[in-house]
Amino acid sequence: MMVELPEKKVGIISCSGEGCTEGSISRIATRLVLEKLRPQETVTICLPLFLAGGGEERVFAKYYPTITVDGCDKLCAKIGTERYSGKPASSIVVTDLTESPDCSRLRSRRRLDREALALAEKVAERIAQEVDEVLNHWR
Amino acid sequence: MKTATEKKVIVIPCSGIGKALGSVSREATYEVVENIRKGVTETTCLALIVSGDEETLQLVKNNKCIAVDGCPLQCAAKNIKLSGGDLAASFRAVDALKENRSLKPKSVTFLDRDGQQLATVLATQIAVKVDELLKE
Amino acid sequence: MSKYLQTVFDKFELRVHRGYYYSEDGLWASVERPKVRLGVTDYLQRTGGDVAFVELVKPSSTVERRTEIGTLETAKTTVSLFSPISGTVDEVNATLAEKPELVNWDPYGEGWLVILAPRNLEDDLKTLMNADGYFELMLKKLESEHRRLESR
Repeated sequence: MMVELPEKKVGIISCSGEGCTEGSISRIATRLVLEKLRPQETVTICLPLFLAGGGEERVFAKYYPTITVDGCDKLCAKIGTERYSGKPASSIVVTDLTESPDCSRLRSRRRLDREALALAEKVAERIAQEVDEVLNHWR
Repeated sequence: MKTATEKKVIVIPCSGIGKALGSVSREATYEVVENIRKGVTETTCLALIVSGDEETLQLVKNNKCIAVDGCPLQCAAKNIKLSGGDLAASFRAVDALKENRSLKPKSVTFLDRDGQQLATVLATQIAVKVDELLKE
Repeated sequence: MSKYLQTVFDKFELRVHRGYYYSEDGLWASVERPKVRLGVTDYLQRTGGDVAFVELVKPSSTVERRTEIGTLETAKTTVSLFSPISGTVDEVNATLAEKPELVNWDPYGEGWLVILAPRNLEDDLKTLMNADGYFELMLKKLESEHRRLESR
């Protein structure tokens, strides 16, 4: 007896960059999507493992749609995904979603303050919307 | 030429997003560079190293680096070495867990108290190494 | 023919080694007459998480079927390991003390746990599943996991 397994999933590739607050925001936002907003529809792809040649990460990203989430305009997640698996279905850059492109007000990259957490939730909602669009398109 | 006061140790976590120990490695790094060894250490994004960002590659080649990995895959240590960085030391959060078995982190997104404590233990070990490297 | 039955869940490939016998708990037994080698399945190691410690019974210990032969302690949880076979422990995988990650990296190979001299091999094997049977069980567990996520 063959059991049907979920096949339609979206891989979220987050930059997780330690160097700036926006990297922490992209990480938290991605985790919120994975744990709360779209737990059934998403998996996370570990970016350093993906870039360094992690087999499972690359195989998944090759055959399933991906959404990249970058903190800054260095676009490590987006560029890496394009290089090693193909164009992501959608790309989000945290600084594009702030009220102003200058995020120097968000000082701590370690303990996100209320403002930064609110931004993380906003980014998470945006990722979730993109997940829905990607899956609708796929169906 | 860098003077002794300008020397810094670069602490680079793996920040694996899928595992609690990845969060521990990240938190331990922040504890070192923003608190207990502030001013003599800094951190940078592993992704920038792996993607070949020139400025970042110069940073890791010109300074001693400490890799802080969550798990035995050791993405940070391996990629610092592969990029030609000066990997002076390597830590794994899983080894800190082995020495402190009661401090099992139970969440990934926001570390719980045990995860925070484990990160503090790991940060203390890293700080000792930082001091050694700065004396060299 | 591949030596594994396999499926994909999330981004993970989950494999079941053909030719081995399996308990419902997720331990496998490989008959290497006159001995039997025991280990954990891909599914068990994947769901358990990264192994930090492996504690196993000592050589020369007598084990009964369904009694504990050790534990895997991961970052997430502690998993008790129940022997699918009765017998005497002939050898323990000493490498796991230094490299517990072998259980994750190579659960059907270098991550083996113990080798037993079995006492009631034929009777004990009758209580176990073959690879196809365990594969079906694994798929059901995965579907159950999928439904659990769906209901959140």
